[in-house]
Amino acid sequence: MPQVTEVVKLRRRVLTEIARLAFEAKLKQDVDSILYTVVTEEGPRYRCCVYKERAVLKERIKLALSQPSDLEINEAVENALRGKIADMPVINIMPVACDQCPIDKFIVTNACRNCLAHHCINSCPKQAIMVVQNRAYIDKNKCVECGMCKKSCPYGAIIEVNRPCESACDLGAIKAGKDRCAEIDYDKCVQCGSCKTACPFGAISDRSAIVQLIQAIKAGKKVYAVLAPAFIGQFGAKVKPSQVVEALKKMGFYAVAEVSLGADIVTLEETKEFTASVPRQRKYMTTSCCPAFVSMIGKHLPAETNSVSTTVSPMIAIGKVVKQREPDAVVVFVGPCTAKKAEAEQYEGIIDYVITFEELACMMVGAGLNMAKINEAVFETSASRDGNSFAKAGGVMQSVMDMVDTVAPGTDIRPQSCEGLQNCMTAIQQIISGKSDINFIEGMACEGGCVGGPGVLTNMKVTGKLVENFSKSAKAITAGENEFAAAEVQSGVHWHRE
Amino acid sequence: MTMLKIEVCVGSACYLLGSQDLIEMIEGLPEDVKANIDLRGSSCLKACGKGPNVKINGELISGVTPDKLMEIIKYNIQRK
Ligand code: SF4
Ligand code: SF4
Ligand code: FES
Repeated sequence: MPQVTEVVKLRRRVLTEIARLAFEAKLKQDVDSILYTVVTEEGPRYRCCVYKERAVLKERIKLALSQPSDLEINEAVENALRGKIADMPVINIMPVACDQCPIDKFIVTNACRNCLAHHCINSCPKQAIMVVQNRAYIDKNKCVECGMCKKSCPYGAIIEVNRPCESACDLGAIKAGKDRCAEIDYDKCVQCGSCKTACPFGAISDRSAIVQLIQAIKAGKKVYAVLAPAFIGQFGAKVKPSQVVEALKKMGFYAVAEVSLGADIVTLEETKEFTASVPRQRKYMTTSCCPAFVSMIGKHLPAETNSVSTTVSPMIAIGKVVKQREPDAVVVFVGPCTAKKAEAEQYEGIIDYVITFEELACMMVGAGLNMAKINEAVFETSASRDGNSFAKAGGVMQSVMDMVDTVAPGTDIRPQSCEGLQNCMTAIQQIISGKSDINFIEGMACEGGCVGGPGVLTNMKVTGKLVENFSKSAKAITAGENEFAAAEVQSGVHWHRE
Repeated sequence: MTMLKIEVCVGSACYLLGSQDLIEMIEGLPEDVKANIDLRGSSCLKACGKGPNVKINGELISGVTPDKLMEIIKYNIQRK
C-alpha cells in the first residue's frame, strides 16, 4: 500500500502553502488563495463537489494554524501570526470531513444463500437473526456484536466492519457520536495520533504551530531546533544528517541540537533510579520517554503511576540543557510524534514549539529550500550509540541495561520492551496479576518505536536501518562513555518530574 | 535492447509528495523487469510544485503515482 495517499498529499500541500505564505509575509492577504490552489475546479476530487472540498479545506487550514473551528479564517490567521496557539487538544476531528463510516459492526453480504442449516440463527445467543427476503437479517436492536454469526457462517457471508479510526485506537477513545460522526473522548485519549494515520478521509489531524514558529524565526529570535534521533533518513535515504542541519540553519534556525544527547542523560538518570528503587520501593519501573505511554498509565491505569520513572523525557532533558545555556532561546522539538505536542505544554518554558518531520519538510519546501541540494559536510553526533538508538523500539531498554551492567553489575533486571498501547497495557496487567515477573518495562505507543510515529515521512524499515548505521558512527557506545552527558548530569539541573 | 531510463526526483518537494513510494515500487518489481530499467535519483527536476516528478527517457511527467508509473513501465517494456 502506498504510504503517501491522496489524503496525505492534501494535508502536506496545505501545510506547505501556509508555510510559503507565512515566509513571504502574505498569509494575511492571501490565505484564501489556498482554497483555490489546493482544490482546483478541474480536480482531482476527493469529495462530492468542490464546495464540500473547500469547506473541509477551511477546517484543515484552521487546524494547521492551531485555531478552533468556530473562528473565521481571517481571525484564525491573525491569531496565529501573533503567535497564539489556542487552548485545544492536539488531535482533533474535523466533523465536515468525517465520512461517518458505518457503525453496524456485522453485516450480511450478498454471499448469504439462505441455506437450510442456518448456522447463523442457531449460533446467535440473542436471537437477533431472522430471514428476511431470502437472506439473513440482523436485528440491530438485539445484536450485541459478539461475532458468533460471522464465525458460524460456512460461506463467510457475514462480515465484520470496523471504523478505521475506532480500530486504530487501542484505548477505545474514539466512537461514533451524534450524526454518526467520530468523536474523541479526551478523558481517554493520549494524543498518540494512530487515528489520524488510520482515517481514510483525512478527517483527523493534529494542530500545527508552523506559523507561530515561522514568526519567531522571522522576528530574529534565537530559535534552536532539537532533532529527535529518528530524524536520520526522514527526508530521503540520500539526504545526509549534515544536510538537514545545514538546511535548518538556512531556514533561519539559530542552532541545532540532538535529542539523543538528552537520551544519554535520561539513561544515566533512569539507571540510578532503577537500581535505587526496584525492588525496594516498587515492584517494577517503566520508562518515561514516550508521552502517549505515560499518559496512558495516568488515564487508564492510575494506580500504577508510581511505577513510571520520574526521569524527564529526552526532549525535556535537551530542552533544559539549551535553556540553561541560553535562557532566551526558543526551543523547537522536531520529531515523529504528535503526543510530544501535549507533553511540551506540561513543561512550560522548556520546549516552546513541537513540530513533526512532516511539518518541517513542508516548512522547508515553503521556504524554497531543497535538502537534497544542500552541500554535504561531516556531522558528528554528540550522543552515544545507545542514545541514538532511542529512536527504535527496544533502544531505551538496551541503553539502560548497558548502563546497569557498567555501574551495578549483577543487578536483578528483567526487562521487556513493548510496542503499541494495547501490548503495553497487557504487559503491565500481567505484572499486576503476578503472571509475569518482569521488573523493567520500556513502553512505546507506536509500532517500531519513534521511527514508526505518526509524523514520519519515511517507511520505518528504511529509517530503522539508517538509524542503526548512524548510531554505530558514535564514538561513545553507552551513555556512560559520553562525556557531554556526564558533564550535564553533574551540572546541578533537576532531571526529574516535579 | 535499450534500457528504460527512469529518473525519480528525490528533492524535498517531490519527496514530500511521495517519490519514495515510486522508488519502492520499482525496487519491488520482478528481477527480469528491473533488468530493463535504469533507475536514477535526481535532486530536482525543476517542476517542484507538481510532484512527484519523474523523467522517463528524458520526458518529464508530473504528479506520478505508483499505479501510473507501473502502467508506463508495462507499456514501455512490452513494446520493446
Ligand atoms: S475513519 Fe472515523 S473519522 Fe475517519 S471518516 Fe471514518 S468514521 Fe470518520
Ligand atoms: S488515543 Fe490515539 S488513536 Fe485514540 S483517539 Fe487519541 S490520538 Fe486517536
Ligand atoms: S524537488 Fe522535485 S522537481 Fe524540484
